Amino acid sequence: MIRYKYCYFVSRKQSKREECGKPSPSLFSSEFSLFPFTDHPIRSQSPNPTFSILFQMEDYGSSDDDYHFSDQEDSDVELIENDDRNFELVSSKTPTAQVITKESLIAAQKEDLRRVMDMLSVKQQHARTLLIYHRWDVENLFEVYVERGKAFMFAQAGVSVDECRDSDSSVSALVMCEICMDDVPSDEATRMDCGHCFCNTCWTQHFFVKINEGQSKRIRCMAHKCNSICDEAVVRTLLSREHPDMAEKYERFLLESYIEDNKRVKWCPSTPHCGNAIRAVGDDLCEVECSCGEQFCFNCLSEAHSPCSCLMWKLWEKKCRDESETVNWITVHTKPCPKCHKPVEKNGGCNLVACICGQAFCWLCGGATGREHTWSSIAGHSCGRYKEQEKSAERAKRDLYRYMHYHNRYKAHTDSFKLESKLKGLIQGKITASEEKSELRDYSWVHNGLSKLFRSRRVLSHSYAFAFYMFGDEIFKEEMSDAEREIKQNLFEDQQQQFEANVERLSKILEEPFETFDDDAKVMAIRMEIINLSTLIDGLCKKMYECIENDLLGSISLGSIHSIAPYKSKGIERASELPVCFSNKANNTGVTAELNQSEESGCSSRKRARKDGGFFDLNLPAEFVDRN
Amino acid sequence: MVDFARVQKELVECHKDAEGSGIRVAPKSDNLVNLIGTIPGPTGTPYEGGVFQIQINLPEGYPFEPPKMQFSTKVWHPNISSQSGAICLDILKDQWSPALTLKTALLSVQALLSAPQPDDPQDAVVAQQYLKDYQTFVNTARYWTESFAKTSSRGVEDKVQKLVEMGFPESQVRSILEAVGGDENLALERLL
Repeated sequence: MIRYKYCYFVSRKQSKREECGKPSPSLFSSEFSLFPFTDHPIRSQSPNPTFSILFQMEDYGSSDDDYHFSDQEDSDVELIENDDRNFELVSSKTPTAQVITKESLIAAQKEDLRRVMDMLSVKQQHARTLLIYHRWDVENLFEVYVERGKAFMFAQAGVSVDECRDSDSSVSALVMCEICMDDVPSDEATRMDCGHCFCNTCWTQHFFVKINEGQSKRIRCMAHKCNSICDEAVVRTLLSREHPDMAEKYERFLLESYIEDNKRVKWCPSTPHCGNAIRAVGDDLCEVECSCGEQFCFNCLSEAHSPCSCLMWKLWEKKCRDESETVNWITVHTKPCPKCHKPVEKNGGCNLVACICGQAFCWLCGGATGREHTWSSIAGHSCGRYKEQEKSAERAKRDLYRYMHYHNRYKAHTDSFKLESKLKGLIQGKITASEEKSELRDYSWVHNGLSKLFRSRRVLSHSYAFAFYMFGDEIFKEEMSDAEREIKQNLFEDQQQQFEANVERLSKILEEPFETFDDDAKVMAIRMEIINLSTLIDGLCKKMYECIENDLLGSISLGSIHSIAPYKSKGIERASELPVCFSNKANNTGVTAELNQSEESGCSSRKRARKDGGFFDLNLPAEFVDRN
Repeated sequence: MVDFARVQKELVECHKDAEGSGIRVAPKSDNLVNLIGTIPGPTGTPYEGGVFQIQINLPEGYPFEPPKMQFSTKVWHPNISSQSGAICLDILKDQWSPALTLKTALLSVQALLSAPQPDDPQDAVVAQQYLKDYQTFVNTARYWTESFAKTSSRGVEDKVQKLVEMGFPESQVRSILEAVGGDENLALERLL
């Protein structure tokens, strides 16, 4: 019964996806709100509650069908698949993000080159020139081709397909090179596709200078006003004769163009750099995990920060950097002067404090007072009496307190996250201990619960940064009336609190010393509870994301620039490895062949030796390698 | 390394045509790295009648890198710095092509004198004046040409210098020189 229901669920999702053609991450919001997850009836009906609910937890509303399970979850999936093969349909899909390592870079680039070469039947070098001009956006390139025609597209990118190569150059034995103004034998001169002919020495010199200037991706012909891009094969041949190191640098720049000029590919932001790049398919707004373990937002390359938008996160990080330390100290040690609002530190004496602006105030309540006082009382002032404060003072104070409120909670969850990270090792110990004494062999639920906890902690801490901006004056002041804001804030905080409360419950229960329990039934009970809580949290978290996307950001005109990466039940997607295929094709003439040559001739020997013998050390920028 | 063979050929080539184009390039000292180019002010412009000197410095990579050019004659023009003589011209920067020569570059500079581009200024003050008060611009440019770019005016500066070095106040020297029509000896007699 449950499976039936589940399958229905999946097919709904898939059919919708097929209609749309392309997976859109925002799809899931409206679709899934039909299934209020928290009070799902399945749980009580299930004959085999653990697996079905667990499975739902794993797959409930995964907006992208394509997903790679992280290590801890693998075991569960296998388990379920053993349980029933029908479920396999969810797990084997193409991923949305792929890791490009230095080994697979050539393959990745070739993929796109091949598409263009096949489509337009052009040579590889022309395909590359076209693609570099269009920043490796094949769709955009084809669009120009269809709309403006081949001739326009070629001219725009500086591609000249030669028509007159052997018309006159072979006739005369001597060619006058207009650069060095010397007559050279025609076999020592080269005619480019654009028709301009200069001597090889001048060409080589030209390439050398251009590559040194960092323009190797688009070296133009030497003739004045000629927009044509030099044939990379010519550049390669001529350069490698005189300057093999430069030729290598040139190859490297051509290769890395695929990463640096490509909207869809970005370097992994890990420090020290792991050498990988990530290619995302579809939306920029996604969070990915590189094979090195670095998790980041593909859009802004900072740490994964949903449900904060990139802009909010940038503001928040800056604010925290600028203010957190100071703010902490200020709150502990000072009170703002009621007149000038400067923070005042009390350095001794009684409770009557005088600010440098001349204003006296009560240290206990912060209210303005007269100057007359005794040790125990201040004339005309009693702390118990309520006084309307000046508006601006209140405002300054409110702003600061507001920031502190959010920052404290943000920090609390970040700190909890750091503490709980230690749990991982601890729990592994517990599992080992339990395995020795108990019949139970499957402890994946602990890992699952733990990873859910980690993920939720991060989401929670980010949700406070989000709330700070969402309901503050900094970004959306003009966008909502006070009443609207209050309604929205209540709505959000409600969900946030529910989510938070359950995360705390999960955190607590994960610390239970289940390895000391003698009774397996007790362990089973904890297991049930962890599984249920994980499921509950997942649903709540998803609801919170939906609320943010639809009810909060969705209703605001500025909201579109604050789009957030969609929630994924399984956590941040781990980018899959691209297959490496070097010597698979006999016609691998281009870069690969050259690279192999340079490798054989030992050109790369001065580079850092790598155990895997990769062609390039992408860990270092080209200039840097060159300097060594 | 500068391709001196080519520079030499360029100089010869330029010399051959010096009468026709009015453009001259000569080495500043005995090496061919520092040169001096001379262009006549184009007719029909406030620069007409002036002869402008341009310092040319050839970089290591010449002709694959553009030559560095700078006016040594003061000139009032939106795309030339009135302070330093720096020239804002695309072919001297990213649009340089090794197929261009010193002569063609100087011709382009000459063309720049007849067609200022105030929207892409080097000297903001001049560009503002050009756009807002064209007549004043023309007058100033002409005055600067008269004062700095005429052979005779350069002679005047030398004479002033000489007389000032003899110990006469500059303002007096100038007014007397002007009064006697630039004759150095007459001026000296009057000053004594």
